[in-house]
Amino acid sequence: MKTWPLWIAGTIALAAVFHILTVFALPYGIMNRAMAGIAAQSGGVNKPVYPDRATAASRSIVRPSPDLLYTACVYDVSDRPVRLTSPVPDTYWSLSAFAANTDNFFVVNDRQVHNKRIEIILTAREDLVVEGGQPVIIAPSTRGIVLFRSLVPTEEAATEVDALRRQANCEPL
Amino acid sequence: MKLALKLLAAVLVALVLGAGSALLVVRSGGLGSQVSSGPWETDLTIGSAEADPYTRAQVAVAGLLALNRNETIYFTAARDGDGNRLRVDCRYKIEGTDPPARWWSITLYGDDHFLVSNPQGRYSYGGESVARNEDGSFTIVVGPDETDGNWIPTGQGHAGDTFTLTLRLYNPDESAARNPSGIALPRIAKEACAS
Repeated sequence: MKTWPLWIAGTIALAAVFHILTVFALPYGIMNRAMAGIAAQSGGVNKPVYPDRATAASRSIVRPSPDLLYTACVYDVSDRPVRLTSPVPDTYWSLSAFAANTDNFFVVNDRQVHNKRIEIILTAREDLVVEGGQPVIIAPSTRGIVLFRSLVPTEEAATEVDALRRQANCEPL
Repeated sequence: MKLALKLLAAVLVALVLGAGSALLVVRSGGLGSQVSSGPWETDLTIGSAEADPYTRAQVAVAGLLALNRNETIYFTAARDGDGNRLRVDCRYKIEGTDPPARWWSITLYGDDHFLVSNPQGRYSYGGESVARNEDGSFTIVVGPDETDGNWIPTGQGHAGDTFTLTLRLYNPDESAARNPSGIALPRIAKEACAS
């Protein structure tokens, strides 16, 4: 009995499995690499890094915007919640959080923040109660990336926007 | 022993076929083409938990840390208005008016999804930095040789190398977020090529 048709069918079926596994695994692999790069620059998780504006030499995250100043940190809420704080400038600004599978599960921008300052708590615990009454965001994965974006509207405003975004912080609660 | 070798060969072939085809599909997909307006394309589920596995993988490869569409819409153009690939040795004229958003920018990226090196260190124009025509519209020239007015260099790549443009709409108007295909976006017209 000829067995080669079975071998071909089996190989194609296995190839389909590898195809699906690769598609599902890619976002996690790429996020893991990005998280490792950010944590290496900031000195660990739950610590911010303040990279310069993106240029052609910036090769860590794809398609960066050269018009924004980014502040990033890798959050890890496996042990404790993380407090995110930042002053809010008079320009476009946002705080966004990304799960381990790349999903953007939270974003808030400057127009949605009162008193020109934000303080929120990121946690994995749905029953967390915060004494200070700060907004609590439930992270769908214990690790991920928090990104603050600050628009640099003009070159003249760059120094001021940069000074303000360097006050953004991520720290364990 | 012979059977073990055959099994190993089958697994290896399946791995190359399966993983290779997945990478090919994901890398050729850009940031999705679910919605288009002229040469500009986007996907409404970018950054969203509703994204299907292929879109999520494409965003990871070509637009990691992209925001969801209520905050930002990312349009990408890999072709001009006539449907031809954007080439570094050609000169293009981008003409348009302010899209319906709080702030916008147009940025040029190489095929590796990173900014393209050029002596001027110029990669983009935005709503605040672009010089405008008398009627408030704008014209941006994209090409290898410097021109007067708004100019984004395509760098010193090899003839035939390609690039893409990303149009970011930050805080898009509600109508734009609901129906991105209905937005009038800048036209991209090829003017000349060096070869």
